[in-house]
Amino acid sequence: MAEKLKLQEVEVWDGNMAFAQAMRQAQIDVVAAYPITPSTPTVHGYAKFLADGYIDGEFVLVESEHAAMSGCVGAAAAGGRVATATSSQGFALMIEVLYQASGMRLPIVLGLVNRALASPLNVNGDHSDMYLGRDAGWIMIDAFNAQESYDLMLMGFKIAEDLNVRLPVMVNQDGFITSHTAQNVKPLQDEVAYKFIGDYKEVNPLLDFGKPVTYGAQTEEDWHFEFKARQHKALMDSKDTIENVFKEFESLTKRKYNLVESYLMEDAQVAIVALGSTVESAVQAAKNLRESEGIKAGVVATRAIRPFPLKEVARALKDVKAIATLDRSAPGGTLGMIYNEISGAMYQSDNRPIINNYIYGLGGRDMTQKDIKEIFRDIKRNADSGKLVTPLQQFSGLRGPKLSFFN
Amino acid sequence: MLEIRWHSRAGQGAVTGAKGLGDVVANTGKEVQAFAFYGSAKRGAAMTAYNRIDDKPIINHEKYMAPDYVLVIDPALVLSADITAHEKENTKYIVTTHMDKKELIKLVPKLEGKEVYTVDCMTISMETIGRAIPNTPMLGALMKVSGMFELDYFKNAMLKVLAKFPQKIIDANMSAITRAYDEVK
Amino acid sequence: MEFLGWDQLEAGAVIPSFEDKNSDIVKLKQEERNYAKTNSYTASVADWRVFKPVFNKDVCIDCQNCWVFCPDTAIVARDKDMLGIDYDHCKGCGICAEVCPTNPKSLIMFFENDDNDTALSQWPEKKKKEK
Repeated sequence: MAEKLKLQEVEVWDGNMAFAQAMRQAQIDVVAAYPITPSTPTVHGYAKFLADGYIDGEFVLVESEHAAMSGCVGAAAAGGRVATATSSQGFALMIEVLYQASGMRLPIVLGLVNRALASPLNVNGDHSDMYLGRDAGWIMIDAFNAQESYDLMLMGFKIAEDLNVRLPVMVNQDGFITSHTAQNVKPLQDEVAYKFIGDYKEVNPLLDFGKPVTYGAQTEEDWHFEFKARQHKALMDSKDTIENVFKEFESLTKRKYNLVESYLMEDAQVAIVALGSTVESAVQAAKNLRESEGIKAGVVATRAIRPFPLKEVARALKDVKAIATLDRSAPGGTLGMIYNEISGAMYQSDNRPIINNYIYGLGGRDMTQKDIKEIFRDIKRNADSGKLVTPLQQFSGLRGPKLSFFN
Repeated sequence: MLEIRWHSRAGQGAVTGAKGLGDVVANTGKEVQAFAFYGSAKRGAAMTAYNRIDDKPIINHEKYMAPDYVLVIDPALVLSADITAHEKENTKYIVTTHMDKKELIKLVPKLEGKEVYTVDCMTISMETIGRAIPNTPMLGALMKVSGMFELDYFKNAMLKVLAKFPQKIIDANMSAITRAYDEVK
Repeated sequence: MEFLGWDQLEAGAVIPSFEDKNSDIVKLKQEERNYAKTNSYTASVADWRVFKPVFNKDVCIDCQNCWVFCPDTAIVARDKDMLGIDYDHCKGCGICAEVCPTNPKSLIMFFENDDNDTALSQWPEKKKKEK
């Protein structure tokens, strides 16, 4: 029987410790992992808890991230609670198996500590890896700080393992900015956290010898389409479960989570839409701008990236005149993902705000208050002019001549 | 909001120091942030660590900081690191050095006219802990200069942070904190 | 098997082997098991054959080589006693005959149309070692 850890009411944890503690409290059966910066301390912290007797489970140190996710797929199909963590290049190597995991409807939880993709090689935080995984059929949720990393990791298990969902869940946090920044975190005690997640419920486990099943069957054009359609529907329907889990968590902790988070939006005329730690930094900048320059600035973020809360995000932005969409990933020859998603959502709504796109923060480039305020002032001009007077796509925080596209 | 920047070499314990300070401060009900720039992540490389302390939750995640305190825990970094970067009018400097203030300012003219304190954290940590880990003595000096906490309260709080270490190390750290508190000028 | 709609499928393309749960399934012979309709046991490949293996019990030494090598589990054996060929699942690949070590072979490929009794009556003699 695993030892319990007595936690203080307020701990000072970085995002990695928050992940590792939540994983410990979930009492995972199998973690197969191959540590990589900046998620290494999640795996290291978890392994230490296990070695010190705080977890009754197996830790499999594999030879690559491809093998790590493969190990997770095997263990989850066998019928256990399974999780791992990775970043960047490691995540890229996992991609093939990510599709296997979601296709087999295995409730694996992956802590993804967001980091840039090479080349040039870079260990710092941006959202390139997160964007790389967005069509893999996983539920993707995003934490903006260490507290949320802890909370969402706990909720990740409950969402993934729900009998109406049974899909893998990816919990994202920003590399270094969140993962290596210690902040106040209010954890649950071990029993409370475990009770919240609940015991693992097996569905078609491989280790049930009385009812043998095949995982990973081949289906060609005669069957494949129906399976993928069913999988997509499960992912779309998971919205209800995610909201229910958020509600249950709120009644336990008073900490409220939503599919779409809105800050200072009640009377906002301009809004930034972003992901990760930038969301909170933007709230800080919006508060200051409201006081210093009277700009009615607000911030909106999709807590759930997949399933994409299209209607909810349009509702959150229904009264704004201009939106800045901030993408922390090299857009690869088009506009950023958030620009495209938000434009699509707003096109289905009655409000047609002016939307532009900023690429920022690649490879961990600091997103300063000054940069964010400049963006708010930009879109204030768009709002006041009633048309796009800024370039459609700009690079924020970049050295050299101003770079913009789709002018 | 109180903001602190540490200048250190990787391995001297600036990250541990910043997190330790965060732990102590969080116990008093305040909100804290502790982070670092790792750079090349090689032992001995110059690096910076940061603290933010506030009464309200800290939601600003920019790395840019105009610090209230600059703590230099390696004596040579006053020459090679940009210790006055983004300084404010009233930024206070606590520098590890064997020199007195006058000698230090002569060597580092950009500190002229600034509020500068000196303390020899290297000698203190060598004589108490037996290793060149100047982080805990620097915290002792910071307590004296900032008046953030009473010495006894701070030492008591640090016991919790250091709890994983053997008693001998804990005792050595306690005397290091006390000495730096008494010796900082 | 009937083509099902997306709403009728088992999630995750998980395919059960049997219709019901039975923890002693391993002790049941194939013909006694309640195979699921998704199980390939109910799918015959008999019409794939041009040649078929014929089994001669008199020469067989029950070495199980054919049972190990058959890619379609079409060799019927009980307690290591070789019984014969499952002609519903044999596609006529000839591997069993190839790996049979006896002299003469206990499994020989004949035309699909040949009568098994006739085949057995024409079984070759033991070959002498060539010097």
